[in-house]
Amino acid sequence: MSTPIITLDGVSKWYGNVIGLNKLTLHIPPGVTGLLGPNGAGKSTLLQLATGQLRPSQGTVRVMGQPVWDNPGLNKVVGLCPEQDAFYEWMTGHDFVRTCARLGGMGRGEARDAADRAMARVGMTEHMNRAIRGYSKGMRQRTKLAQALVHEPRVLFLDEPLTGTDPVARRDMIEVVRELAAGGASVLVSSHVLHEVQSLTQRIVLLHRGRLVAEGQVREIRDLIDKHPHRIVLVCDRHRELAARVAGWADVDGIKFLDGQSGLMVETRRPDEFYARLPAVSTGGLALREVYSEDDNLEAVFKYLVTR
Amino acid sequence: MTATDAPPAGRSLPAELSALGALFALTVRQHTHGRRLLVLGLLYLLPCALAILLRNLPRPADAGVLEFALVLTLLPHGLAPLTALLYASGVVSDEVEEQTLTYLLLRAVPRWELYLVKLLATFCVTTGLVAVGVAALYAAIYAGTPEFGDAAVPRAGKMIAVMALAQAGYCALFGFLGLYTRRALVAGIAYVIAIEGVIASQEFAGRAVAVVYYVRTLAVRWLDLPPDVLKECRDVWGMEDLAKLPSSGDCVWTVLGVAVVVSALSSWWFARSEFRMKTPGSD
Repeated sequence: MSTPIITLDGVSKWYGNVIGLNKLTLHIPPGVTGLLGPNGAGKSTLLQLATGQLRPSQGTVRVMGQPVWDNPGLNKVVGLCPEQDAFYEWMTGHDFVRTCARLGGMGRGEARDAADRAMARVGMTEHMNRAIRGYSKGMRQRTKLAQALVHEPRVLFLDEPLTGTDPVARRDMIEVVRELAAGGASVLVSSHVLHEVQSLTQRIVLLHRGRLVAEGQVREIRDLIDKHPHRIVLVCDRHRELAARVAGWADVDGIKFLDGQSGLMVETRRPDEFYARLPAVSTGGLALREVYSEDDNLEAVFKYLVTR
Repeated sequence: MTATDAPPAGRSLPAELSALGALFALTVRQHTHGRRLLVLGLLYLLPCALAILLRNLPRPADAGVLEFALVLTLLPHGLAPLTALLYASGVVSDEVEEQTLTYLLLRAVPRWELYLVKLLATFCVTTGLVAVGVAALYAAIYAGTPEFGDAAVPRAGKMIAVMALAQAGYCALFGFLGLYTRRALVAGIAYVIAIEGVIASQEFAGRAVAVVYYVRTLAVRWLDLPPDVLKECRDVWGMEDLAKLPSSGDCVWTVLGVAVVVSALSSWWFARSEFRMKTPGSD
């Protein structure tokens, strides 16, 4: 096994009486690794520890062999796309990414060029001079990814990067991560949706209630997952037309309209095929505003793994 | 060894200075966007409008009375500390509240420098605002009078210097308060009323803990106030005996010293503190 890029040794993190992570020992090798777990599993805590935003209550965290807490030198080669949908809303996307580049130590011209490249990489060139407050969810996710990429990090942490994105943004962002991995960067991507992670990597780490449940190849838990119907929420203004469209798909087991929302929940036991079809819906004129997966089925699998 | 295995480069001074410059500019831009500046601008306009109104009554108000009431009382006791409180107490907590602190913590800037640069930018913005307020007030009170060019303008310059010193003290104190408690605004207002208001006006040694005590002392010593205004100041502020007051140098070094020590303490505290970003999943 190659030298781990991220190392957690006996790491615990408590928030008062609440345990975020519990005696976690984990050695993550270079390449792309998926960090999977239901909400509350400790994924964001792990990422905040690994990026030096939090200090472990117990144990040690190292990235590229270096301690992460208040380590500005390390921050030059680490990028984070955080989960929270937070920006300096009054800035344009380009301004925001350029500012992040400058905060990383780049000069004015260098930062401008780097921001141009990062925005182009995530497909935001056309919209980069608009104020962020007017961005759609997908544009905001792309801009967050651009700020994480602007200094060309060697280790990238992505916290639920695909949540709420439309199918086109999802496809593009997956492509960006693949390119980064091909370029030699290491990526740790968190998600509560197995199929999102699976589209990025075969190597996953499973967390549940702050503990390591499993680590290894995604195929091993795929069978477990697929025994449970996968529930995917599609948000679309023309949701009745959308329902009519997807109802005929062979991989759709059921459709339910969401109360009080312009959206529907689709049940499928073949989520890969379903996700693969979605971009065609979007490009066919039905604009999907959001796509996200309920994690109840994943929770059930975790319960099975924990109690078996 | 792959590219990812190579250890990251160490700190570089030019890069760090560039990052600090960007952080300073970002903080200034944050402070000059949004409603806070608008509200404070309106607050500063009110006494100016009042001065213009009272100067244009059939029986115009005396300029010296207006200077004492508005420039020497309202500004240092109300507007200046309020300006520092609104900005400095949010130096970190606003970033935490808006969940943007992550973008700063993940950059090539040591945490303690991050705090100090943000505080410095805050000091510059609040001082700029107060300076404009002082200049506008003097213009509103003295414009068109014979004293304007010879006396009021130089006095306005000195008052700006005194208020800049006060802002250094207030920003350091309220920045510390913003780190210490989430209710910094309430605590800051309580501090202004109790320490800068009540205690500073009592003629006893304890008033030396108030920033406004040094502001008053410097105003009495430096401003070349008209005799009637100076007498009013010394009577109301309990500063009849100049010999009992600290020297100008002592005032400056005391306020600056306290500001530096409190800022250093705050930056140390900030560097050791964790700021947990709430996520939608709360994990």
